[in-house]
Amino acid sequence: MKFHWFNLMPWPDLPDDFRETHNSVWVDVDSRLYDPVRGHEVYNDYLDMLEFAADQGFDGIGVNEHHQNAYGMMPSPQIMAATLARRTRDVSILLLGQSIAYYNPPTRVAEEMAMLDVMSGGRLIAGFPAGTSMDGNYAVGVNPATLRERYQEAHDLIKKAWAEPDVFAWNGKYHKLRYVNIWPRPIQYPSPPVWIPGGGSIETWDFCAENEYNYSYLSFSGYLRAENLMQGFWQRMEEMGQDFNPYQGAFAQQVCVANNMAEAQELYEEHIRYFFERCLHVSPTFADAPGYRTEATIRAGLQAQVGLAGGSARALDLSWDELIEEGFILAGSPDDVAQQMEKVADTLNVGHIVTLMHFGNMPLEKTLYNTELFAQKVIPQIKDKFSEYEDKWSPHPLPAADMRMPREVPGREVGTAALRARLASEQAVPEGAPAGGGGD
Amino acid sequence: MPDLQTVTTQPGNREVYYYRAGSGEPLLFLHGSIGLTGWEESLEILSQSFDVIAPFHPGWGPAKEQLTDVSTTLDLVVHYDDLLETLGLDRVSVAGVSVGGWIAAEFAAIMRRRVDKLVLINPLGIWDEANPGEDFFAQSPASPTGVQFSDSDLRKSLLVEGRDGLEAMLQEALDLRATAKFLWPIPDSGVEAHLPRIGAPTLVVTSGGDRVLPAVLGDRWQASIAESQATVLPAAGHAAQLEQPVAVAELIRAWVADSTVATPEVKVFAPA
Repeated sequence: MKFHWFNLMPWPDLPDDFRETHNSVWVDVDSRLYDPVRGHEVYNDYLDMLEFAADQGFDGIGVNEHHQNAYGMMPSPQIMAATLARRTRDVSILLLGQSIAYYNPPTRVAEEMAMLDVMSGGRLIAGFPAGTSMDGNYAVGVNPATLRERYQEAHDLIKKAWAEPDVFAWNGKYHKLRYVNIWPRPIQYPSPPVWIPGGGSIETWDFCAENEYNYSYLSFSGYLRAENLMQGFWQRMEEMGQDFNPYQGAFAQQVCVANNMAEAQELYEEHIRYFFERCLHVSPTFADAPGYRTEATIRAGLQAQVGLAGGSARALDLSWDELIEEGFILAGSPDDVAQQMEKVADTLNVGHIVTLMHFGNMPLEKTLYNTELFAQKVIPQIKDKFSEYEDKWSPHPLPAADMRMPREVPGREVGTAALRARLASEQAVPEGAPAGGGGD
Repeated sequence: MPDLQTVTTQPGNREVYYYRAGSGEPLLFLHGSIGLTGWEESLEILSQSFDVIAPFHPGWGPAKEQLTDVSTTLDLVVHYDDLLETLGLDRVSVAGVSVGGWIAAEFAAIMRRRVDKLVLINPLGIWDEANPGEDFFAQSPASPTGVQFSDSDLRKSLLVEGRDGLEAMLQEALDLRATAKFLWPIPDSGVEAHLPRIGAPTLVVTSGGDRVLPAVLGDRWQASIAESQATVLPAAGHAAQLEQPVAVAELIRAWVADSTVATPEVKVFAPA
């Protein structure tokens, strides 16, 4: 199995009465809640977390794209991926992803992803989501009636722009370009591995099968609620003649590791609640613009992916124990979590797990603690699962000898040692959490 | 009550789903954002005075698959020119509601010689920043078109009840999708620049209870059309033809037949 570390980068200072006093965390969220000076600190903490996860040996570190919201503050995932590419060496850069239907011309996406692949030495995973309705339709203004057609055309154009060595003309319905000839070109030819984050639309499954893409189900409702959907996906792959390979699937799962269950609850519950109660407070009026879901998807009764409509609403009413029982979170000691993660793998048959170990307003120190325990004590117990399958959906980077790193900056320490030194000097260790984490 | 019939346009080669009944001068009725619920009461009343032709626009109702074929004003105007050719109608009067009001105005502005009289009821297509109305599209999934009624509860009794639940919900969503294709994200279709070309005597009707198109916008439409009058239908919402079918039919009839502006009585709905 492969484990990726992913952070939505939410705004951590939403007020306690946010649900009662604000219409939505997305689209029309009050900008006065944002403080750019505090934002400087928040972005740097969030990037420190991702770099720390890379140091801890995670297979990938993930960023994504959202607009006009306090749920995830990465309007440009490329900017985050660019700084991560320079500050890490061995880890996959999981850009999950860029909503390709939003950009005109889409060759801009092809260019920026090629830049990232070259800068990172071939470590990019290219995620192509359709994007949420809040982002695409209401914040970016893409017409919901044509979003899927635009998505298809952008996809075809980007793939061709990466692969075709000769200058070509693109005469599409939405984009007309007389000369397509992007520079630079990606190291991973003809394309970095492509992952498709999606909900449960049949069209998305067929698209993954036809192109041999990874299908990433990014739910916040946990693995038990995802079982039917992922079974549907695997069944469709079989019908479409794809050999089963667990690495063709990815799943996002919230994980809370501590020394024991009581400590996990003590450390993490308030932040899990912040996430469900405030970060997912999406007005239903922005969740599903007319035409955003296809007719087939509406008929299948499948809901929009992000927000409380998708089944996450239930989390609001559950106790800590029930959140674990129902699979919304994996929690407990490293052994508890390893057992639960094994169940995730067996239930969903997915080889790639996109772990969520920072929730809502969780501070840096607790996040590092959670991350380190998982990396040191959980991953070793289960990483060999599915080792009989070839992972065809991870990057093929340059050999280590060819990999260039930034020059040293005299007087400026970076990396995990520097981060620990800084935290120690700030004496910012949370109660109940040992400063050094669970296993150096 | 006439059955839904189809004809394939020549030229055009597109199947059109439409109702047709009555006798007299031809009247083309262009439906609004929420499509046609069938042979509606206002159409039945109008058919006592006119030869009423009420088609589904490409992309709406049974023509939902045709949405990919049409993207622009020109596509729709050409489509209706083809339909009149196909039906052998040289000139018609046109009444349009909501998004159909926009299409009717474009048709009258571009195909100037085909239109006798024009009635625009709650026409969409002009955006007034000072009077934006409610967002047509960002509505609760439980009541996507509630805002098109003066009281959202009327959606249930006038649009949903008596129809198959899933199919009605789906049709409502797909009809809104079609509206979005042309008027997303704000209803500024560029029609205002074409209005001075309209030669047909035109009545602009807006509705006092319309929450998405404030009634004051009627004056702006009227001001750009040479031979025109504007009137406000009290009480009705954006879907005026469903809420006040008798009044809407009388406004259309009086203007088309007599060039007068009727002041019809409006139905009062009992509080729910």
